Amino acid sequence: MSNTIGIVNYGIAGNIHSIKKAIEAAGGKTLVINKPEQFNKVDKLVLPGVGSFKDAMQELENDEFIEPLKNNKKPILGICLGMQILATVGFEYGATKGLGLIEAEARPMLVDSKVPHVGFNTIDVVNDNELFYGLEGEEYYFMHSYEVINYTNIVALTKYSNHSFVSSIQRDNIYGVQFHPEKSREAGIKLFKNFINLKRRG
Amino acid sequence: MNTRIIAKLDVKPPYVVKPVHFEGLRRVGTPSVLAKKYYDQGADEVVYIDIVSSLYQRNIIFDEIEKTANELFIPFGVGGGVKTIEDMSKLFHQGADKVFINTHAVQKDPTLINRAAEIFGNQAVVINIEAKKWKDHWECYTDCGRMQSNKDVLEWVKEVERRGAGEILLQSVDHDGRQRGFDIELSKKVVESVNIPVVIASGAGKLEDIKKLIEEAKPSGVAIASLLHYNKNTVKDIKDYLRENNIEVSK
Repeated sequence: MSNTIGIVNYGIAGNIHSIKKAIEAAGGKTLVINKPEQFNKVDKLVLPGVGSFKDAMQELENDEFIEPLKNNKKPILGICLGMQILATVGFEYGATKGLGLIEAEARPMLVDSKVPHVGFNTIDVVNDNELFYGLEGEEYYFMHSYEVINYTNIVALTKYSNHSFVSSIQRDNIYGVQFHPEKSREAGIKLFKNFINLKRRG
Repeated sequence: MNTRIIAKLDVKPPYVVKPVHFEGLRRVGTPSVLAKKYYDQGADEVVYIDIVSSLYQRNIIFDEIEKTANELFIPFGVGGGVKTIEDMSKLFHQGADKVFINTHAVQKDPTLINRAAEIFGNQAVVINIEAKKWKDHWECYTDCGRMQSNKDVLEWVKEVERRGAGEILLQSVDHDGRQRGFDIELSKKVVESVNIPVVIASGAGKLEDIKKLIEEAKPSGVAIASLLHYNKNTVKDIKDYLRENNIEVSK
């Protein structure tokens, strides 16, 4: 298997560049995907996300990515907002339907501290997962105001000022991380290495 | 929560310079080389500010930015002379994770903040403030501390938060480059005025200055320039020292 990682490119705000660079540093091959027909050229997908939930869904719709993403069976990793839009619904600038790949909601962080939550923070892996192989207790860079509310697919939790939130989720071939592995030094590159190496489920 | 230790590069392309009071520029290196050096030392972020673009009314120079971004696997903030959504979009494509806005929002059109936050998300929109103290208040300055704005810093920070800014970088025209300690009084007031993260710059001359600032003002991050540029301390020295003094910082 060639093991090429496709990075879904949508909208005007995506920082595709740094994700591509980090996957390549992890030894992976990348292809920036500008239209859904390119999905069959890659083995796995990364769904980045910068901006608001509403804008991201709008941009995915404009580029006709929504149905192909819903039907996709390849391993996919959603990063930050890219993880949030895997959820059923988001509440940033009004209620917006997400991709619905994971039973979850994206809601404003309710925490007695500064929001957005910005900076390196530790992850607590609560359900063993290949994505986090050898990465228990590592620090990752967070930069977000919304969090994913989910009860059944939690992989990792992170604590911000006594508030525990979901920092990673997984269901079948669908993976999500709230933090930015591409901005998290060696620990982030190792996570991409794990993603490159993981086997497709089912 | 870890206090972020951020390396700040003031750039007059193609060099990193270190102004004193925002004047008297000294060349200290190139952005990509210094960024890599501070990344290797353990910086949590790198901030790149083109300090002359706004002053000379020209557009921000992009070449150095992409080159610098390529060296980093940590967040990279860029600012200087940003006037439009298109400017910002271009910076994000060059590898910036956050964009700093100052002059245009303060002097001309604060709604740039609203538009930017809606498009790029509030976490990506940082307001850069150059504060100068008057008798009983602080005023926002622009263009390297040269232009007045008649905007009160403590009112402006609340306004930018309402408009959707995700973070504030607070610099002090009076303290910048002097290495005699931070403006703690102002820092404390700004941190307490808003619910968004505040990063404080301007004034670190020794490790104790950073400790004092964190203990008294509780900022989300501290931006360091002179201490690092003149090799007085490394990022690692700073973090080790803070940890020894029971202040949480990342690895």
